[in-house]
Amino acid sequence: MHRIDCPWCGTRDEAEFQYQGDATVVRPDPDASEEAFFRYVYLRENPKGWHTEWWHHVGGCRQWVKVVRNTLTHEIFATGRAQEDLPLPGTRAKPRRRTRPKQ
Amino acid sequence: MTEFQTIHPLGDVPPQSVESGDTSGITLNVRHEISMVQIFARNGREMELAKKLNIEGVPGRASETRSFTAFPLAPGQWMLVSKNAPGSGFGTGIAKKLKGIGYVSEQSDSRVCIRVSGSQARELLARGCRLDLHQSVASKGFCAQTPMAQVGVLLHQVNDGPTYDLYVYSGFARSFWEWLAHTAGQFGYSRGGRGH
Ligand SMILES: [Zn+2]
Repeated sequence: MHRIDCPWCGTRDEAEFQYQGDATVVRPDPDASEEAFFRYVYLRENPKGWHTEWWHHVGGCRQWVKVVRNTLTHEIFATGRAQEDLPLPGTRAKPRRRTRPKQ
Repeated sequence: MTEFQTIHPLGDVPPQSVESGDTSGITLNVRHEISMVQIFARNGREMELAKKLNIEGVPGRASETRSFTAFPLAPGQWMLVSKNAPGSGFGTGIAKKLKGIGYVSEQSDSRVCIRVSGSQARELLARGCRLDLHQSVASKGFCAQTPMAQVGVLLHQVNDGPTYDLYVYSGFARSFWEWLAHTAGQFGYSRGGRGH
């Protein structure tokens, strides 16, 4: 069971949130190839370790919260608003953005 | 021709007075004749809107004004509750004030307000509320949106009695009421002739 720190509401029970997937996916340009859009819509990595992801606070403020979570230990390292870039643990780097597929 | 009738989801729940002889330490009542609107600030106009209505946007804190109570729901969003009956023009008045800086959505018929009070009120809510309502953490004016018994609730601590107001969607009000009254039974609350 997680306790997630919503930037607006404060720390709340996981049951108030809905998991909404990978927060590092970037929408391709409108004129990108069909293959690029296929990857954007359907293909996700399944990392063992730190993952930057969306959790929708559907039972509270209804905002989308960005969460850096360890998929192995379930430890939550950081949470933030949708616009925030959250660093991964042990780095000062921003979370890795998936490179856009070649078009 | 069929006449449309306004039916309150908990219209058959009779008022319960504190002097009803109930020894459970729990009083449950439905608050009728209140008006509710939800308001949204236009992008970047949040501060202006708050100033205009003389309210604050601090998460978890209700703002009391002379004519309504404001509950912050999210950045730039509030629920306003007035003691004026629906149809009294509360929403229209707010809409006039917010012209150009925000939006108003009428909610008077979409939510039901249940007032829970008495010495065991906090213990009753603890059976379904994930938030810490202990007096060292939450006091008069505390408010939050949180699910209770699978139903989304806007919770407001009215006083340190304690008294709580629970705002639930009308469509879920009967189900929520059943859960609340049933759970209160564990404290000795008896519905008697009250509700169903
Ligand atoms: Zn929240």
